[in-house]
Amino acid sequence: MTKRNKTPYLATFSPEMTLFELVELSPSLLGVLSRLNVRLPFGDVTVAEMCEREGYDATLFLVICSMHADSSFRPSADLLTTDMLAGVTAYLRASHRYYAEYMLPHTEAHLDRILAHCDTLSQSALHSFYNNYSRYIVAHFEEEERSIFALSENPDSVTSADCSIFDMPHAEIDDCSNDIASLVFKNLPESAPTPLRCALLDHIYALRDDLRRHSDIEAYLLRPLVEKLIAQKR
Amino acid sequence: MRRFAVAIVDVAPVVREGLSAILSRSATAEVVGCYQSLSELASSPHFQRLDVVLMAVGMWRELESSTSLSGLTVIGIQSALAEEEALRRFAGVVTLYHSAEDVMRIVEEAVQQPQPHNFADHELSDRERDVLILVARGYTNKEIASELNISPHTVISHRKNIVHKTGIRSVAGLTVYAVLNKLIDSEQL
Repeated sequence: MTKRNKTPYLATFSPEMTLFELVELSPSLLGVLSRLNVRLPFGDVTVAEMCEREGYDATLFLVICSMHADSSFRPSADLLTTDMLAGVTAYLRASHRYYAEYMLPHTEAHLDRILAHCDTLSQSALHSFYNNYSRYIVAHFEEEERSIFALSENPDSVTSADCSIFDMPHAEIDDCSNDIASLVFKNLPESAPTPLRCALLDHIYALRDDLRRHSDIEAYLLRPLVEKLIAQKR
Repeated sequence: MRRFAVAIVDVAPVVREGLSAILSRSATAEVVGCYQSLSELASSPHFQRLDVVLMAVGMWRELESSTSLSGLTVIGIQSALAEEEALRRFAGVVTLYHSAEDVMRIVEEAVQQPQPHNFADHELSDRERDVLILVARGYTNKEIASELNISPHTVISHRKNIVHKTGIRSVAGLTVYAVLNKLIDSEQL
């Protein structure tokens, strides 16, 4: 495999790479492709070809991939143009659907398989905790769509004061993800089989890390774009 | 690695905002608040979930008398000459002359140091169990203090130890912990 890239700000990925090469470098990007409705099989289609076919901005697509693949990646200001705003909010909305319709129910199904091996009280306590966690996340998404995304999609009405809504807390979600992992890892009764426990932990950590990347995209991609728009209007 | 929650305590706004901007660039740190004093920090709703406090070295005597910072990584912010005795109290010290990269390195190294408190024994003490049961039953810190005849600061200190020992931060998670470990039954919820 060759790395043909050479754009300074996107050190790993380039439009000339095939989707297969992209995923081979970072398998977690399959989730990104899935929420963008890019369907298998890819064949040997390149990033640029796929973006042209699907109507995506290739630079924005690679920025999003870079942020998912590398938790420390932050797009530089010169890379961001305000016409990316619609694409970013569309991606974030698609992510919300992906979490609500796929990742959260899928993790719950794994949890239920384990809880079938536990006593009734443990089942009820952990299931109720997970349900509340899921509901909290979905409610958080709905609030973001009502406030942050609505603001980003109506740029004419944006003022600098509105940017305070970007400070919505994400720490509680991260804490609860870690709490579930800790409970499954250390406190579930021994009757819960280890292979099922490990599979569930895989899902919980994948969900937690994906949600972290999601909030990074809001903080370091969406917010700078809105702020750039405000600066242009002045 | 979970992100560590950081608070910054310094009287100077430029110091607070500068350090906050630097730490916000990190993938591992999350700045949850900036405060002018330790008492303002202690009354913050974010206090329970803190891992790291960056505070002005000049406040070190308050640190000596504070039980509620036990279990946290405390890093000094040095903006003037300071006594060696004061600097020794901190897990690390950042100065106004450090680059952003150095600040991040100092904070990350301090976080990775072993805590001064011995958490090798992850068993909760009897008192911590008492506090945990009341937390799971929905009591506030003030109500727990009154029920157990201890000060609210001692309750906070116990809660921090519970979080360190169990690895669980949310009240809902601690409630599940109490159920799974048979500290309470469903009727007590």
